[in-house]
Amino acid sequence: MESGFLGFLEKNSIYIVMSIVLVVWAGIFIFLLNTDKRLKAIEKELKEK
Amino acid sequence: MIWKITLFVLMCFVIITGIAFPIVPKPSSWMQFPIIPGLEEKAKIIFFHVPTAWLSVVAFLMAMVYGIKYLRNKNLDDDSRSSASLQLGMMFCILATVTGSIWAKFNWGSFWSWDPRETSIFILLLIYGSLFALRSAIENEEKRARLSAVYSIIAFLTVPFFIFIMPRIMMGLHPGSLEIDPVTNQVVAGTNPVVDFKMNGSMRLVFFTSLFAFTILYYWMWSIRSRAIIIKENLSKKLN
Repeated sequence: MESGFLGFLEKNSIYIVMSIVLVVWAGIFIFLLNTDKRLKAIEKELKEK
Repeated sequence: MIWKITLFVLMCFVIITGIAFPIVPKPSSWMQFPIIPGLEEKAKIIFFHVPTAWLSVVAFLMAMVYGIKYLRNKNLDDDSRSSASLQLGMMFCILATVTGSIWAKFNWGSFWSWDPRETSIFILLLIYGSLFALRSAIENEEKRARLSAVYSIIAFLTVPFFIFIMPRIMMGLHPGSLEIDPVTNQVVAGTNPVVDFKMNGSMRLVFFTSLFAFTILYYWMWSIRSRAIIIKENLSKKLN
């Protein structure tokens, strides 16, 4: 049995679920940011040509 | 950029509070949600399942608005925006169906029980599913855009009935539906705790924040998707 913070997480597993969902959301957010940035670059390139 | 950061923060708030705040019989602080007999911890689905269904309504509405815009201006970009919204609407409609179905197995005992809301979302999936079949069957861009715009307008006319009216005038399992009073045997507006869903202040705050955050997320996804479709159409015109 772990002690301290890890022990707390072991006893309250809902916080593990919460952290995983947060990480997934961060991933989706970064993906959307990147796609948006790339589209802007393509739109700019198309306008210049 | 500010609204993107706001979206990130709001969604983190919804995830943290929606998942981690405990559900207790008598909430004594704002960090607790009230227990709803028959739902218990499973009540938390409301923060994630309802916004997906809400977004499908918003997306189908936007598809109709851009359908009308196309019919007025004959600008193919509006058709691309309408199509992007239809795709997102369909995706959120499927997500609402799947999340609800998984939840229903553990709360109502079966994956599907033809509750009025389940029936209406199934019919919506069929109506909008056939719109995709229609779009893919027509080669001519203008004809496709015109037919799709008219279809999305007519299809949306059914949405308020299926989402907002039908589940409220029929007996069902979802909150807001009617049910039969076991004592008097009369049809009454929800007295069953599952049907008569009571939220406290903090639960309502998280719920409406969730609806708001998901709506911004939809707007962002829609803007990315429609711009991508417009770029693709423009490029293919240049290449041909």
